[in-house]
Amino acid sequence: MAAQDFNFLLATDSYKITHYKQYPPNVNRVYSYFECRRKKGAQFNEVVFFGLQYLLKRYIAGRVVTEEKIQEAKVFYQMHFKQVVFDEQGWRSVMEKYDGRLPIRIKAVPEGKIIPRGNVLFTVENTDPEFFWLTNYIETMLVQMWYPITVATISREFKKILARHLKSTSGSLEGLEFKLHDFGYRGVSSQESAALGGAAHLVNFCSTDTVAGLIMAQRYYNCPMAGFSIPAAEHSTIISWGRNREKEAYECMLDQFPSGPVAVVSDSYDIFKACRHIWGGKLKERVMERSEDSALVIRPDSGDPAETLLEVIKILEECFSCSQNSVGFKVLPSYLRIIQGDGIDLCSVEDILKKLHDEGWSAENVFFGCGSALLQKLNRDTLNCAFKCSYVETNGKGMDVYKQPVTDPSKGSKRGRLSLRRNSDGFIETVESGVGKPEEDMLVTVFENGTLLQEYSLDEIRKNARLWEEDVSPALHNQDHPTPLDVHQKHIMNGVH
Amino acid sequence: MGRRMGMLVGSETCFSWCVRQSANTVRLHSTVCESELSVSVLQVTHYKQYPPNTSKVYSYFECREKKTDPSKTRKVKYQQTVFYGLQYILHKYLKGKVVTSEKIQEAKDVYQEHFQDDVFNEKGWKYILEKYDGHLPIEVKAVPEGSVIPRGNVLFTVESTDPECYWLTNWVETILVQIWYPITVATNSREQKKILAKYLMETSGTLEGLEYKLHDFGYRGVSSQETAGIGASAHLVNFKGTDTVAGIGVIKKYYGTKDPVPGFSVPAAEHSTITAWGKDHEKDAFEHIIKQFPSVPVSIVSDSYDIYNACEKIWGEDLRTLVEKRSADAPLVVRPDSGNPLDTVLKVLEILGKKFPPFENCRGYKLLPPYIRVIQGDGVDINTLQEIVEGMKKHRWSIENISFGSGGALLQKLTRDLLNCSFKCSYVVTNGLGVNVFKDPVADPNKRSKKGRLSLHRKQNGDYVTLEEGKGDLEEYGADLLHTVFHNGKIVKTYTFDEVRDNARLKESEMEELIH
Repeated sequence: MAAQDFNFLLATDSYKITHYKQYPPNVNRVYSYFECRRKKGAQFNEVVFFGLQYLLKRYIAGRVVTEEKIQEAKVFYQMHFKQVVFDEQGWRSVMEKYDGRLPIRIKAVPEGKIIPRGNVLFTVENTDPEFFWLTNYIETMLVQMWYPITVATISREFKKILARHLKSTSGSLEGLEFKLHDFGYRGVSSQESAALGGAAHLVNFCSTDTVAGLIMAQRYYNCPMAGFSIPAAEHSTIISWGRNREKEAYECMLDQFPSGPVAVVSDSYDIFKACRHIWGGKLKERVMERSEDSALVIRPDSGDPAETLLEVIKILEECFSCSQNSVGFKVLPSYLRIIQGDGIDLCSVEDILKKLHDEGWSAENVFFGCGSALLQKLNRDTLNCAFKCSYVETNGKGMDVYKQPVTDPSKGSKRGRLSLRRNSDGFIETVESGVGKPEEDMLVTVFENGTLLQEYSLDEIRKNARLWEEDVSPALHNQDHPTPLDVHQKHIMNGVH
Repeated sequence: MGRRMGMLVGSETCFSWCVRQSANTVRLHSTVCESELSVSVLQVTHYKQYPPNTSKVYSYFECREKKTDPSKTRKVKYQQTVFYGLQYILHKYLKGKVVTSEKIQEAKDVYQEHFQDDVFNEKGWKYILEKYDGHLPIEVKAVPEGSVIPRGNVLFTVESTDPECYWLTNWVETILVQIWYPITVATNSREQKKILAKYLMETSGTLEGLEYKLHDFGYRGVSSQETAGIGASAHLVNFKGTDTVAGIGVIKKYYGTKDPVPGFSVPAAEHSTITAWGKDHEKDAFEHIIKQFPSVPVSIVSDSYDIYNACEKIWGEDLRTLVEKRSADAPLVVRPDSGNPLDTVLKVLEILGKKFPPFENCRGYKLLPPYIRVIQGDGVDINTLQEIVEGMKKHRWSIENISFGSGGALLQKLTRDLLNCSFKCSYVVTNGLGVNVFKDPVADPNKRSKKGRLSLHRKQNGDYVTLEEGKGDLEEYGADLLHTVFHNGKIVKTYTFDEVRDNARLKESEMEELIH
């Protein structure tokens, strides 16, 4: 349940301390929701919902208020605002009435589900009229959902690109889950982000060096071992041999890890010479000795990703030859592969695979490692994640509320109580103004009054998030007829809500 | 690639294989050592990869210089960086007893599953447990926190202190490289401070209030609670206004200040506290809120429906008397929150200027009456900040009129590549002989690393220089500016947050350069 030393009362934007004084008098319910707003011309049309269970288990469930925490917060806020403004009485009431548990209800889309932009993903409301101010107090913490959602979404977009190319150049999707390796641990902003981002990537793939993500998946999503890795070199283990002993350094790698795949970074001095003269020359026989299960995976790590990769694969073809697979694309011998782990993002992956395809190479030859583009080069604006109040009750009377700034229509928010449903055409849509039918509502109550009511395992989440047929083989769809996704988007644009 | 890398069968099977394994895998207890597992898997197998008879591995950290391609001009150059955040990492993850036999066993089990092989260096960790009672035999030397150092210089070094533990130096790389984040936040925040200082000085003749000109709005836009704490604390190296409460906790716990708190805020509205009144009651909302906070500044977001109407009709007419009654210590701060930042700010100032006539300050720039100000907290990053203050100056508005809030751009929209933060091995001892090592990839001269044992010095003319290959021993430039901060599990030197702030303050010379 919620962390002991974490003070929930200090886990919000300062200004929210002052909001209980700002709502209209006699407000007894504040109802808010979270969405990834639609934006014209946006790159990503659908999102993977993931990460709420972590927040609930770690910070929100159970007893989050104690007298000690109230005192700490009171003293702090007085100094921080240079006046008394903290709602001590309100929090004491939570403690006394609910034993420090939050009288809040959260309804959410099941984790792992793929939902088009512009739809409600979760809603929050107070369950006791006295605590109307709680709903938006927890906004700050809940809006951080933008991160696991965005990582899982981007990771899945990578998967679509990889799947398409793998299918078209090899005829199958074998090994897809190992095609994108998480290299991002050192490039994220904190250990906690590494864990959360690492876990989000594991919704789509099985390949990671970010150990924290494995632990997160185990502790919060009931998956004992969510991802795998292989022994690999880094520059220090190569350069420590000295410039003249690069071959010895490489040989050591082959000796130390005779069975199982091994990755060796080969660009410390000159990647092309290393491939041609060391791997393809002095150590060629040692490489050829290795079995299919124990492939050498050569890792370039500098220069233009596509150009470098193409030149490396050409050199390897010259030195080791290659064969043709069942769909006519070239594959290196099974003991030899390449992993490109530098400069990888959605654009460069597409670029590299396309260039490989054009040169007749199968996507089976290459693996990718991605660091900051997977776990750090993202922000709340990537998917326009926002949390807004849509409904209040004053003196028991409900009112749909919203913002609609004249300076930016895309920032307009939804109105009233919301539900999510699949309509008669099979498309997911949000129903506003409280007119949704409860039996059609895809939102599930996951949290109420301090208790987690619904849990998802990583296994279920992975099932929910798997790719669809049209993600893998878009070429199969007739170009003249719009894809289901296009129709769907038109649907939303015409304001079906 | 075989069984090991998932030639199991198509897409679904990898995952079902994970599930089947679950029955056999030891469950992790919650006491899993964070630092032991908080390591990139890459490092787990490295102890086997160094040359035989290696008895020391010495590595360093820098924000590499990047000789940019002239065709790609960046607006902001970031020629110097603020060194900050090491103390947090050392305290939280590296000091004291970080290894126990239970943790070794658990790590062993995790890695066995993760690699499907026995590659974990159990013997190495057991040695540390027995000989050092689980303390890490490494030494870290670093530049004082808060120091502002030009790119391309060594900022800290790490070396193993026990010949058996040569592999430990780069084991801690992953954790230590995350220092890129507090360094980058503090650096980017300080560059914005320079911009604000320049324009504030030019348009008002004073730097009064500079430390409150850029307010941290980033709590909800970062990737985790921990990031919020680290990032917010880094911003507070340069400023004093924040809504990201978490940062204050980090400063208190890991650095300490002589003042009770290092950061402050003011009451402010959000959209829900306005829209909850209903569209036709925006004026009632504004009136209620402004009355709730009579004697401190209060910021009121005014764009829920129409910012210009709110400024002109509601603030400018309906509630005008209430606004004018406020003191200079308790102004109304009008907050737009949508639209093009510069255009919106200028139009808001224009409208407010009509309703609340400004006067001219000593530099000839317009200043609204003291009871009303503006805060722009949407779309603010270092580039738009520059555009806005430049635009205001052109239109003869003093920067005293405005303050800024920044969220995502302050704390999240940053990567390790912005300042090219990098940790590299530069020296090893093998067979008793010291060897200077380096990488020098043919395809990217920017990625070349430094050689040998390093030290940082300041020349007579004030320039910083990093000496390589142990040349610092010759004492040509005086003492090494790198101090030992961590040794064999103990933190031997700390800095208070006041010292950090002092080291990072804008220098006279910088101010002169900015103004002229």
